[in-house]
Parts: sequence; C-alpha cells; structure tokens
Amino acid sequence: MAIISEKDQETIRNHFDENITSDVEIIMFTEQPSPIIVPGREQCETCEPTRQLLEEVAALSDHVKLTVHELSKAREEAFALGIDRVPAFVIEGASRGRVRFFGIPSGYEFSSFISDLVDVSKGETDLSEETRQFLATLEEDVHIKVFTTPT
Amino acid sequence: MAVESSRVTADVIEATEFPDLAHRYGVRGVPKIVVNETTEFVGALPEREYLAYVRAAVGENGGE
Repeated sequence: MAIISEKDQETIRNHFDENITSDVEIIMFTEQPSPIIVPGREQCETCEPTRQLLEEVAALSDHVKLTVHELSKAREEAFALGIDRVPAFVIEGASRGRVRFFGIPSGYEFSSFISDLVDVSKGETDLSEETRQFLATLEEDVHIKVFTTPT
Repeated sequence: MAVESSRVTADVIEATEFPDLAHRYGVRGVPKIVVNETTEFVGALPEREYLAYVRAAVGENGGE
C-alpha cells in the first residue's frame, strides 16, 4: 500500500511538473534488517518506510532520481557526505551547500522535504535580498541543525 | 540557506528517531534550531530573526 495517498501524489506531481526543471538526486543511506538479532544493536525501524516514501516521491517526476546505499557497504560515500546513521539522505542538484535529512520526513517535515527538492533543483530560494547578501559574503562554515518531531 | 551558499550545511533531524542527538542538544521543544554548536533557538521565526541568530553564530553583530 502506498504511503502517499493518490490525491497527494497528484498534487505533488503537478507541483513538480510546474517547478522542477532540472535534475535533482536523493542519495539515501539505509540498512537492511538483519536476520540475526545482535544484542545491543537496534534494528532500523524507519529505514524501510523512509525508503518506500522516497521511492514514491521519486516516481512523481522524471527529474527526481533516487539512489539507495546500504550504510555498511558504502562507508566511503557516506563519510564523504557526513552520514553516520540511518535512515538519512542528501538532496543534490543545483544547491551550493548541502541539505540532509536524518530520519523519516513525515508530518510537517514532508512538505519541507518537497519544497527543499524544488529549491535544490532550481539552485535558488525565495530568501530575502538581505539574507542572500549575507550568505554570498560568508567567510566561515555554518552548520544548521533543525530538530523536528513527526507531527 | 544551504541552497544559496556552499558554506552552509543544513540538517533536518527527526528527534524521536535519534534520541542520542536530541539529548545531546537538549531538545525539549520543536522545531529546535542549533547553529554551529553555539547558538540555538526554539520555534519558527521570521526570516530576519532567524538570520540574526546565524549572524551571531559566525560572530557578526545583530544576533540576540
């Protein structure tokens, strides 16, 4: 069964058609459920739902590509993107900096994720001139963490 | 901001899935925003106020 309802799929498909003009890639890191129960090692409960959600989103536009890596088998790729836990994904396209999600983008975060896909594909945002000017002259790295909950 | 600048990394972290991070950063309300480990605030702010916190995190005036 699909996570995204047919009605929402239609809305997102139209939104992508109107706003995504160049390719954007979602690079996801996951971990398959282990057939062996290892004491002290927790199974990733949200890995599969996250993967399914991303697959459903990627199916809504030819411009959205999804690549899925197993974290334990793609350590180098993960390290290069600063990913050390699952589920996590990076959105790559025309963005200058890096946009990452850790955990399933559900609830309110789902719409942030959809608008981030559009912004990254365009390489531009609707931020004010003041903010963009500040960013253009930034001389040190800025790492912003936004903590959310699935509500 | 990460879309506009190569200097910026933006992470969206689902706090209930990663309680270790939520604990480390003292997350009690959401959205909680942490900039460069030095500046933080809770709640959705207007862009100007948000920017002031980011400016403060990089040592510029205008922060709170």
